[in-house]
Amino acid sequence: MVAQLLLNGTITGLLIALPALALTITFGVLKFPNFAIGSMLTFGAYSAWIFNRLLNAPLPVAAVLSAVTVAGVAMLCNFLVFSRLRDRGSITLLVASMGIALILENICRFAFGNATRNFNIEIARPIRWLGLRVNQEQLTIVIVVLVCVAVIQFLFYASPIGRAMRAVADNPALAAVRGVERNFIANVAWALAGALVALAGVLAGLDRAIDPLIGWNYQIPIFAAAILGGLGSPIGAVVGAIVIGITEELSTLVLPTNYRQVVSFCVILILLLVRTQGLFGGKALRK
Amino acid sequence: MIAYLTTLIVLVSVAALVGLALNFQWGVAGLVNFGVVGFVALGAYTAALLSPPLGWVGGMIAAATLCAIASTFLALLSIRLGDDYLAIVTIGFGEIVRILLLNEDWLTGGALGIPNIPRPFVSLAPAGNYDVVLLPFALLLVAAVYLVLETLVRSPFGRVLRAVRDDATAASALGKPVLLLRVKAFAIGGAAMGVAGSLHAFYLTYIDPSQFTSIITAYAFMAVIAGGRGSNTGLLIGAGTIMTLIEATRFLKDVMQVIDGAQLSALRLGAIGLGIVLLLILRPQGLLPEPHRRAREFFPTEKGGQ
Repeated sequence: MVAQLLLNGTITGLLIALPALALTITFGVLKFPNFAIGSMLTFGAYSAWIFNRLLNAPLPVAAVLSAVTVAGVAMLCNFLVFSRLRDRGSITLLVASMGIALILENICRFAFGNATRNFNIEIARPIRWLGLRVNQEQLTIVIVVLVCVAVIQFLFYASPIGRAMRAVADNPALAAVRGVERNFIANVAWALAGALVALAGVLAGLDRAIDPLIGWNYQIPIFAAAILGGLGSPIGAVVGAIVIGITEELSTLVLPTNYRQVVSFCVILILLLVRTQGLFGGKALRK
Repeated sequence: MIAYLTTLIVLVSVAALVGLALNFQWGVAGLVNFGVVGFVALGAYTAALLSPPLGWVGGMIAAATLCAIASTFLALLSIRLGDDYLAIVTIGFGEIVRILLLNEDWLTGGALGIPNIPRPFVSLAPAGNYDVVLLPFALLLVAAVYLVLETLVRSPFGRVLRAVRDDATAASALGKPVLLLRVKAFAIGGAAMGVAGSLHAFYLTYIDPSQFTSIITAYAFMAVIAGGRGSNTGLLIGAGTIMTLIEATRFLKDVMQVIDGAQLSALRLGAIGLGIVLLLILRPQGLLPEPHRRAREFFPTEKGGQ
């Protein structure tokens, strides 16, 4: 029973890892928490649903197309909104991201209503392994997330563009002096974040049904995971997400399942009290 | 028609109270609160639960006090860190309040809510026409909160808050207790949200969790941005305009038959989001910019003196 919960928690955590990673990437480069992350996830799930159901693309193709779409949407948001507000401080940026969240979420609600939807996939029998039950969907989640994390890790630490991103995150002025174009890096960050969040949307849609609140339901766990990982550390975000996933799942032993988000919130509160820098963060973002 | 106007004015009053509160927290003190709806709901439920034993005055005071305590708690946890943390904690708070209201049936009645909330001054109202009392009550409440907050904004306390908002380091270097000032400002705003929540409860006499959605937070932000951050008068104009426009979309459904109720509410919220983004980009100072009090006297050649 506990082993099954641990397994489910790890998988839930892996699912949260992608948006937490996305949040961390944009936070590192742009220095504000993107509150539109949940809505972008919803948007990704619905755009994959359109490709999958209305245009009859197989789900993997639909997922890639959705990742490209949301990456484009994120870059568009950056071009239309965030790049224009960059000099006004992080408060203005985060209020603007809330505005964008409202727009994206309600585009989905306007177009698709509040009814739940599902992807067109064959229903597969769960696999039994050492007495544990693993769904095909859960297996997909594990594989996709691990591949994404590996790619991001490689991009960040073994490619020129990753080096440039870390440079901008560390010291934008110095990076600019060394010829790193900040706007270009911001666009790369948004594109990556958009793609990751869209994939998370597809995985979330596999895991449960798609509805306009699908992303919103992940919002608090995503932030909890990112803070736990120390806002700005990619591998920290992944570990933080897994810890959050397991904590939420284990909490169902003592609390009603409706209280999962409360658990994430409590994790945030405890972190703010005792260890602001999270598990992996170098320094707290003190004023 | 009179009944409809009363409804509209009471709705505007609730929105104006929430807006005034957010304007104090965000506009004057620079503290973002994404959990506005949580505080309003907390106020409404406290008033609903405590008005029967304590009377409506007691219920309202309890609502304001409890919201102020919750605000203090959240502010103490996060204000010493960056702005981002307060935003994250408050958005979480809003969601947690909703979950608790839905699930703690023994106290809140769960999804069914709380019926038969007692109203203020019922004995004064002529039979079957409570609006005659409710309308002035709502307006007086807005006027009272406006006066209190405006006095605070004009007082030395308000001046220090603006200083902290514009440059916390400088204010701190001048010996101002930045953390304490911020916590106080956040708590005062929270108390005003509690008052707004209790007016909401008294008006509807029946509350359930579905009345407290993130729409309330979105309206408040729109009202503050539209009215002009830091300007209470601007806020009243902003809140009035926004709520009237929003209410007017009710009639849109009659004109555009193809749109159903869910789509209409999505359209409204999406429009609010668009409005927030556009105003931030195009007119960040709002309709009625915060007055730069007496700055010109000191810097006659410069505009504003920032």
